[in-house]
Amino acid sequence: MIKYMKKGKIAMTITIGIACFALVTVMTMQFKVVNETDITEIENMQESELKTELANWKNRYDEINAQYEDTMQKVEEYKNDEESNDEASRLVQEELEQTNTLLGLTDVHGEGIVITLKSGESETPISADDLLIIVNSLKFAGAEAISINDERIVNTTDIVNILDGSFIKVNGQRILEPYVIKVIGNQSHMESAVTGNGGKVEELQTLGHTATIEKDNDITIGKYNGEIKTDYIE
Amino acid sequence: MTNKKIISVILGIMCLALTLGIVVQIRTIKSTNSTIGQNQEANDLRDEILRYKERYDNKFKELETAEKELEQEREKATQNDTELKEAQQKITEGNKITGMTEVTGPGVIITLSDGKGVATSTLNPSQLIVHDLDVLSVVNELINAGAEAISINDQRWVLTTAISCRGNTIDINGERIGAPFTIKAIGLPEYLAGLERVGGYLEYMKQDGVGVKLEKSNSITIPKYSGVINFEYLQNVEE
Repeated sequence: MIKYMKKGKIAMTITIGIACFALVTVMTMQFKVVNETDITEIENMQESELKTELANWKNRYDEINAQYEDTMQKVEEYKNDEESNDEASRLVQEELEQTNTLLGLTDVHGEGIVITLKSGESETPISADDLLIIVNSLKFAGAEAISINDERIVNTTDIVNILDGSFIKVNGQRILEPYVIKVIGNQSHMESAVTGNGGKVEELQTLGHTATIEKDNDITIGKYNGEIKTDYIE
Repeated sequence: MTNKKIISVILGIMCLALTLGIVVQIRTIKSTNSTIGQNQEANDLRDEILRYKERYDNKFKELETAEKELEQEREKATQNDTELKEAQQKITEGNKITGMTEVTGPGVIITLSDGKGVATSTLNPSQLIVHDLDVLSVVNELINAGAEAISINDQRWVLTTAISCRGNTIDINGERIGAPFTIKAIGLPEYLAGLERVGGYLEYMKQDGVGVKLEKSNSITIPKYSGVINFEYLQNVEE
């Protein structure tokens, strides 16, 4: 074949080949860039969003800085009190109490709200997912302690349907209606987290279930009753 | 077909492809330009956010060092007293569970990515996207399967962690993260892998067209919580 082709034709074929190759390369690169353009990047935020984001980072910096100062102070105290067993004992007990509070191993009290839920008789009963969503909304609004029917919500709490939704288990314990959710936190933040447009409690009411919300200036939430054990984390 | 015709067709296709490429290019530039550049005040805000992020990152590293030092000092101060030693060990163990220290162990890594399928009349495009509640359900199932530590795109799951929708992204621990979501969990890998069971949430997501991948691993590292938990309304009941 080639020997019948003129030189010009060969040159043209090669040129087109190279052009095609270049084009494909450029386009591949281009599509990659388009794909990678990250929507989470601050580049795409509007000015009002940027202000919120800045306030958020300032706040986070302040918090972490305060935590750092606090930790350094404890280090100093331990260093200075090496001789005195009493001082060391006080410091360790204090730290242990903080840890236990985070683990949910202490009884706590404070202002908050109590939500009571009961399934409507002719409706699909309130499910574990409904409770999971309510707990999530309350946490997002800054809840500091939560319990459902006196089962304390800790960071390893699961809320699941058992036997196709015939009952619900929280922390592996079966709970029965009515569901009483106690929350400690800012009362108006807690209330608006579950009511209003998109609020889960209000949605349940619309569906025909019974729901009440009561404010209480001193709610007591009991400690986690289960056993916290770890076998796999190091 | 003559050679000329073939060349014309090839050239035609190339032109079309080129035009397409250019259009995509211009559209990207347009959408980027509309938010970058023009507005000086917005640029200043961006700079300041980046500065604060950097200050935060640096301080976070200092905090990690300080916490290690604190643990050493605490160990030193408690080594001669059995009761205190026990308390010290409880604190160290507790910090791992509450998410205040980095942990390692066996477990699974689950990746959830937005579906690439084309929405049809029977398939709602919203089903292809990973939602906040999908991530929440997967975390809940992992805990149910015995997970002892969990992170989502390296954000540690702690007592106060909530997952919330924020436009196209989700908000976890005050940070914005987007798909794909990498959920790491430490626990018995065989139990955790049970999430793939028939009738489980992962299968349900797969049917919706979401990209779901589960891998077992013998060594997973989950970072410590990137924030601070402060209580404003809560007090311990005095015993």
